[in-house]
Amino acid sequence: MSATTTTTRTGRRSSGQRQWAPYAFISPFFLLFTVFMLVPIGAGFYLSLTEWAGLGTPDFIGFDNYARLFQDPSFGTSLLNTAFYTVFALAVVLPASLLIAQALNARGLKLRDFFRLVYFMPVVLSPIIIALIFGLIFDGEYGLFNAVLEALFGFGGISWLTDPLWARIVVVVLVLWRWTGFLTMFFLAGLQNIPRELHEAAEVDGAGPVRRFFSVTLPQLGPVTAFIAVTMLVNTAQIFEEPFLLTQGGPGESTMSVSMFIYRAGFQRFELGYAAAAGVVMFLIVFALGRLSISAFGVGRTR
Amino acid sequence: MELNRRHLLRLMGAAGAGASGLGALAACSSPTQGPPLESGHAALSLWTHDPGYATFFTDAASDEALVGGSNWTYSVEVTSLAPPDVIARLVSQAVAQRPLPDLAGLEIGQFPRMMGSDIAENLLHDLTPLTEPFGDRLLKTQPYTIDGKVYALESDNSVSVMYYRADLFEELGIPEDVETWEELLDIGAQVAADTGQAIGMVSDGDNTAIVQGFTQMLLQRGGGLYDADGNLTLLSDEAVEVLELMAEGVSTGAFLSLADPYGSATAAALKGGGLTATVMPNWYKVYGLEANVPDQAGLWRARNIPRFAGGGSVSSTMGGTAFGVVKDQVLTDAALDFLERCYLTPEGQLARYHAGAYLPTLADLYETPEFQNITDPYLGDQRIFEVYSVAAEELPVYYQGAGLVVLRDTIGGPILRALKGEIGAEEALTEGVSAYERQVPEQ
Repeated sequence: MSATTTTTRTGRRSSGQRQWAPYAFISPFFLLFTVFMLVPIGAGFYLSLTEWAGLGTPDFIGFDNYARLFQDPSFGTSLLNTAFYTVFALAVVLPASLLIAQALNARGLKLRDFFRLVYFMPVVLSPIIIALIFGLIFDGEYGLFNAVLEALFGFGGISWLTDPLWARIVVVVLVLWRWTGFLTMFFLAGLQNIPRELHEAAEVDGAGPVRRFFSVTLPQLGPVTAFIAVTMLVNTAQIFEEPFLLTQGGPGESTMSVSMFIYRAGFQRFELGYAAAAGVVMFLIVFALGRLSISAFGVGRTR
Repeated sequence: MELNRRHLLRLMGAAGAGASGLGALAACSSPTQGPPLESGHAALSLWTHDPGYATFFTDAASDEALVGGSNWTYSVEVTSLAPPDVIARLVSQAVAQRPLPDLAGLEIGQFPRMMGSDIAENLLHDLTPLTEPFGDRLLKTQPYTIDGKVYALESDNSVSVMYYRADLFEELGIPEDVETWEELLDIGAQVAADTGQAIGMVSDGDNTAIVQGFTQMLLQRGGGLYDADGNLTLLSDEAVEVLELMAEGVSTGAFLSLADPYGSATAAALKGGGLTATVMPNWYKVYGLEANVPDQAGLWRARNIPRFAGGGSVSSTMGGTAFGVVKDQVLTDAALDFLERCYLTPEGQLARYHAGAYLPTLADLYETPEFQNITDPYLGDQRIFEVYSVAAEELPVYYQGAGLVVLRDTIGGPILRALKGEIGAEEALTEGVSAYERQVPEQ
């Protein structure tokens, strides 16, 4: 009797262990996810319903911050600017990266590693140095670019950083310069994984380089392109460094992004509830765009 | 070890208890809370962005002429932070109940961030009892005053004067004693047309730089951004006049548009002689001129700013950093004593000038031989206090408001467009103020 009881207890214990062991193994992720993601998101949402300058107790004000946000022209400007940066990143940076990767993947290209290094260099450079150099290049009075324009075409008085339109363009040029090389590396890796036989078969069927690019390369790069597009979209929707370092969001607010708007409200003006509301709106927009693009590009879809 | 639900819960409980125990221990270790230290050694903690202040305060702590006879002996431990971070960290440390400094260096443009939501009142000691005996002979207390109480003491009067290249003025035939801006601008327009050189600069960079440059001229003209109660007073005839004059200067080429008065483009303009003069505060001689064009030592001179024909003074101010004492701490009394000795005594003010060329804030000191006899080699051995003393005597009063952070963002863009001639001065100011009032309706 006793032996039977012991066996049953031991069996129950080991069954219990088996039951709990997987949860114990995966619990670190969920604990960290809860502590560092869910709790801050919940706290951020609660904060967005309050008025708080950092000291004292937050005053609950319901959805007033959201109402104010949608009437704030500065927030509208920052949304439009962010949309402009995002569209540019997808419409220009992405194709440019692919074309450069295609060129780097050409058979017989000498100094391939050197070119890779050069294209990748902007990613590892300090943003402060980049902003300083771009400031020197695009200065309206003493900038290199205006000097070159003056020398070549006889005009060079463009206020690159102090005219709203040109300032936006300089910011996207910086985005282009900084991120194209980085994305090129992903495309290059994708291109190198395309079986050469596919190109050879297409060539035998009489396909030229352009036809091969559209009929073989692009379809084969589908998953890589989708990953890069979604990553780029989500990252650019949260763009901060480029406009912050280059123009401080100016002239006026003409280059300010949503992230800069949040930073300004939270850390410069101590309107923490208002900043949190803008953060929640940005989260929802980025989340929705991310989901939409994942669905549109078919990321994770079984082929 | 056998792992089951009970063990897991125990482990988590132990980890939680350990974490809270660590937190409690850390809180106990905070050296800033407790009963006030009334005498003995005070190891003061100081936050500042400027290495010059760090050196001054560190040296002052052992300078018998300054701290002799005090109830405390001092040492100073400095933490360097960017100007915006000093305030951000003060708030975040206070919220987290973590150690705060005893003294905090507050850059003038950042101080308005403390003027709202009672932040200054909650964090800083009221220094009015220290400043009151000096009355209006203690300069530049107004920017750090909230509801009549002074919360920080200015380190440097930041008196604006006109620095000019004496050799280029002579070469170009520009008189050194032009009395009004209007006359100087006519001469500047002619010079710009003839040689392409400018007699001044305006900033077309970020909003802060744009608004600072405009405010400097506005104060000189007798206008201001806020009144003593923190109400916006920007929309005025003086403001329109100033902006029109600046726009005219830009359009004729008399004023050069430069993004950053301390940046590379300005350095190029100074080196190449494209910029022959500039109205800037006293500290610009050190951080702007001497830093960018040390080889032009002896060629520069300083004079008081030409008046506006319509009125105002020959003086203005821009920038500055004040020090506040964090309240209700162990070393608050010691920090107050130390700051008073360094900032409100003639010895302290003279020591500050010699340490980093910080101008006295006690108006009466400008006429004393200790200052009047000072000559400046960079300015051709000019007796510089002959200029500074006139400027200090006419120094305009500058008030700030809690909404200044917003104001800079709302008027920076319109002012820039007015400077470029895209819109009129009045339209620009009205547009900026309207945007401000939408965001700060209660002020």
